[in-house]
Amino acid sequence: MKMNYIWKEWKESIRSKGLWLSLAIMIIVSLLMLSRSSGHGVEQGYYILIMNLFESLLYFIPILCLFLGAFSVFQEKEQKTLVMLLTKQESTFTFLFKKSIALQTVLIVPVFIWFFLYLVPLKFFFQVQLTDYGFLLATIIGLMLVFTQLGVLIGSYSRSRMQIAGIAVIIWFYFFFLHDFALLSVLPNITHDNVQLFSVAYFLNPIQTVRMFLESGLGIYSFGNMSRLLESFMWLTPSLFFLFNLLFWLILSFAGAVLFHRKEGFE
Amino acid sequence: MKKILSLLVLFALILGPCRPGAATVNLQTLIDKSEPGAKIELENTTYEGNITIDKPLHLIGQEKTVIKGDATGNVVSIRAEGVTVENMAIENSSMDRNSSEEYAAVKVYTNGNTLRDLAIKDSFHGVYLSKAHENTIDHVKVIGSGKGEIAAQGNGLHIYYSNQNVLTNNEIEGTRDGMFFDYADGNISTNNKISHTRYGLHYMYSNRNEFKNNIFTFNTGGAAIMHSNELKLENNQFVFNYGHRSFGLLLLSANDNQIENNTFYMNQRGLYIDQATRNLIRGNQIYQNQIGIELWASSNEQVFTENTIHDNTLPAVTLGGQGHNSWSKDGIGNNWGSSFPLLDLDQNGIGDHSAVYQSSLYELIEEQELTYLFLKSPAITVYEKMHQLLNNSKTMFEDDHPLVQSTNHHTYLWAALSLALGLLVFYKIWSLRSERIQQNKGK
Repeated sequence: MKMNYIWKEWKESIRSKGLWLSLAIMIIVSLLMLSRSSGHGVEQGYYILIMNLFESLLYFIPILCLFLGAFSVFQEKEQKTLVMLLTKQESTFTFLFKKSIALQTVLIVPVFIWFFLYLVPLKFFFQVQLTDYGFLLATIIGLMLVFTQLGVLIGSYSRSRMQIAGIAVIIWFYFFFLHDFALLSVLPNITHDNVQLFSVAYFLNPIQTVRMFLESGLGIYSFGNMSRLLESFMWLTPSLFFLFNLLFWLILSFAGAVLFHRKEGFE
Repeated sequence: MKKILSLLVLFALILGPCRPGAATVNLQTLIDKSEPGAKIELENTTYEGNITIDKPLHLIGQEKTVIKGDATGNVVSIRAEGVTVENMAIENSSMDRNSSEEYAAVKVYTNGNTLRDLAIKDSFHGVYLSKAHENTIDHVKVIGSGKGEIAAQGNGLHIYYSNQNVLTNNEIEGTRDGMFFDYADGNISTNNKISHTRYGLHYMYSNRNEFKNNIFTFNTGGAAIMHSNELKLENNQFVFNYGHRSFGLLLLSANDNQIENNTFYMNQRGLYIDQATRNLIRGNQIYQNQIGIELWASSNEQVFTENTIHDNTLPAVTLGGQGHNSWSKDGIGNNWGSSFPLLDLDQNGIGDHSAVYQSSLYELIEEQELTYLFLKSPAITVYEKMHQLLNNSKTMFEDDHPLVQSTNHHTYLWAALSLALGLLVFYKIWSLRSERIQQNKGK
């Protein structure tokens, strides 16, 4: 049954421009980054490429995934397929679950294939470390998972495309600017007593969490000889923060999508 | 008796081939028997035990020649002048930290020796020059034990009270400090590569040294120059020294140094200057660091000129108050990239007005170490703009003669890409909306 969803999602996605547009952007950005980093030597150039590629994709992946996830769910409302499915065999929970699996698969697989092919030119320019490349892939996939699922939440809640556009931009703006801005504002009041709470708030932002996960995974950000304050701040390893962040947002956005689901679009 | 003899022969046959590559001759005996000035060609084998060279000799190994120490002291001790050791691996010195002496794979006590094409591992220090002058260390590769307790291992090259040595083409990885100069003057280091150490380069009380064309990557700190004066650092690359409170180059109580034409790229702080005076920082490329230059008020009379400082989260911050430093020399300032909108109506390459950088983050950086965690966040820009509007900013530097940047093609490319993306999204929403309206009309 899930395969039907994936197949349907795939056929709809290849007919629409969204998937191709997103993929095209990722390909262009990764090729641009390759050309920028190729002059930096075989070893360090590779890490420069990974970091620059990550920092660039960070600007595109969240917003694209929010839109793709939201529009895909909303399309089910527009085409009345949602009403048919919910009337006959599916509950909101099972529909959204299968839809999420299908959507995530259809978005992640082509990206995964592209970054597998991307290894070929990388091999020509750099000394490729596959484990480190795995960390990059994990961060990209992690980001896609979280923001696509948030997109599903937006699509499930919204009743018009303008609503989707508005909410998606607000969520993107929140994670990109407002969350960190709020934390920066309370930073002067952080002491050893409340630093763990601050740490939880900091690592709730998927953008900061995946960055920390990638930098520590690549071994370029070391946590040796930390102060007591920083030790308390890093009360889990970056991998665990990454894992918990993924779980938190996936569960929360899925639960939100089920709870705040609104069937009909505006006519 | 015959049975016992047969058994002994059998044991000899079995045990003999069990030690492949083990040297049949004792290397120390070979050295002792050689005449001064002799050339000893070592075999493709492992020589076990520590050795001391106390006469001028030329020891040359082959591809698989190894001198393996017994982990009780220095593996090779050079106590005569004019010794050459080349083309071999040296390993297994004592790692003891409680002894009166710090041990090394090669410890040199004399002058005018040459160490070339050596591979060193499993040793406390790699090469230790102790009051040894005018030696040459070339193409030596030192592999440390990597991550772990810093004090548990020594430095790649440790230069102690040693002057006028030449250190070239060496590769050091995973040691405490890559190259440590302690009370060492007039040494020249070129074309070395140092990575994954605490400080790639560490000068303490060492003056008039030259350091050129070296590459520092993935260290906690690229180079730390402390209490050392009149050094020349030219054409070095400080890349990816990226950890918590890391830096490309630290100048601490270091005066009258020339830092020219180096590259500081993707470090947490490109240059970190504290209690230093009269340093000339000229022609360097300082870009994509989180903080380009962190300058503490205890530092005075630095001159920054002809540097290209762009795409850093914060180009330069002055902490702990304002020092007296110059951001231009002889009417030539620095190229700040797109950090400042500059006019150059007379087209002389110098901006028509000063580049003044204001920031509000200095207080947070001074007071709260966790601020560094946010330096890559896009929120920093919003935070800075907001505080500028509220007049909470302070002037960090004023470059009276900023250089006007040349056209950056990448900037245009990114702008074009973003514009194209925006138009496509807009077009998509608009077309779907029109489609929807038409469908509704059809109904």
